[in-house]
Amino acid sequence: MPDESERMLVSRIEEGTVIDHIPDWRANTVSRVLRMDKLARMQADVSVAILQNVTSKSFGRKDIVKIDKWHVDEKDADILCLVFPNITVNYIDEGKVSKYEPKVPDTIEGRIRCPELNCISNTEREPVLPRFNTLKKERLLQCHYCDALLAFDSVPEYVRT
Amino acid sequence: MSPSADFLGRDVVSARDFKRDQFEQLLHGVEDLEKRKGSLDGALKGKLAALLFFEPSTRTYSSFQIAAEKLGMRVSGFAGPTGSSITKGETLHDTLRMFEGYGADVFVIRHSKMGAARFAAEISDTPVISAGDGSREHPTQAMVDLYAIHKAFGRIDGLKVGMLGDLRYGRTSSSLAYALSNFDVDITFIAPDALQMRPEVTQLLKQRGVTPKKESALKSVAGSLDVLYVTRIQKERIPDPTEYERVKGMYEVNLEALRDSKPSLKVLHPLPRVDELSTEIDETNYAQYFVQAAGGLPLRMVLLNLILGGAS
Repeated sequence: MPDESERMLVSRIEEGTVIDHIPDWRANTVSRVLRMDKLARMQADVSVAILQNVTSKSFGRKDIVKIDKWHVDEKDADILCLVFPNITVNYIDEGKVSKYEPKVPDTIEGRIRCPELNCISNTEREPVLPRFNTLKKERLLQCHYCDALLAFDSVPEYVRT
Repeated sequence: MSPSADFLGRDVVSARDFKRDQFEQLLHGVEDLEKRKGSLDGALKGKLAALLFFEPSTRTYSSFQIAAEKLGMRVSGFAGPTGSSITKGETLHDTLRMFEGYGADVFVIRHSKMGAARFAAEISDTPVISAGDGSREHPTQAMVDLYAIHKAFGRIDGLKVGMLGDLRYGRTSSSLAYALSNFDVDITFIAPDALQMRPEVTQLLKQRGVTPKKESALKSVAGSLDVLYVTRIQKERIPDPTEYERVKGMYEVNLEALRDSKPSLKVLHPLPRVDELSTEIDETNYAQYFVQAAGGLPLRMVLLNLILGGAS
């Protein structure tokens, strides 16, 4: 059941994704991780509603991102949960809601670049994709190639565009 | 020494990938070769070693070249980018493919990019030996270093090892730290804050039950060490020139700096040295670095022989 303030601002969507329980005022980070700028480049028929600092029974305040006519890739949702472990993702198909529980993946390939500029995975002409292994307890990613560490919280800065 | 399943056809991209018994197998192999000089000569006759040095090297290139030749191998490749197709922009990927086509049995690769050896190992079915990539790792140097320690003390367990200098960007230090983490050793990293060991190295060491100490000056620990591993601090690594002038004296190893050391202390250095290790140490019992350098050739012979399954 949506909160009062949310209902006031945005109507239901029939097809798309709702990302809920984002910490308050952090929705822009979600846009960044999901590379929403590419939607504009693709001139996709997608509408995005970003709700910030809305009231929440369990969180006090939170942000919500509603994306009409676009299903967020589960792998991208998993990357989001590195930064925001409490987010929930709802996919909506013909008005029916199905929950996806994002999980911290064991490995991440191709989506995040290595923070070490001199890493082979940052070399443009070599056919190599950046790859990370997750150290869940330490909340770190480790580059498969050069071993460089990247804190979960720093992931948004390194999302590949 | 017979060919070993632990080594046969394997890649050598990081010292962290090797276990204690594998290091011991190597050390015993080198010991054996030093006792029975010439016993591996010609063991890999007819095989081809491709030495691909995308970054210039004299010492490591020569030691691999001579090791391969003593084993009876043919050697091809390049000792640096100058004059090779690399200057025309050929990638590591394409170079490997080309040498695979020429029938290379092993690749020995040095590259300026970190993780280049792991990438090479992934794209090639031919065994890849890293001869140093970026400022991360130089696994065969760590094997040489381990042998020099083993030779001096007859053991590695129970030793107190100090690693001094540029630990952040020095590729030999991180590989040696990984190798030592398989043994019961006490490790102290001695470096200015800006050049202290990288977090991923200390992270792995801790996972393996070795908690390294960190010091900013040699003086405070010199008296307790069994091994002092010296590396050079490069001026360009410290952004503030006045800071460089301030710290460099603290990391110079001379007789005065070793005044309180144990008489049994052994000083190692991967060489070449500039002014961080005084020549006045050369004639003392502390100096182990020439013994260490001499171990490079037999060690690389044993390693190549194990990987390529040559004669025992």
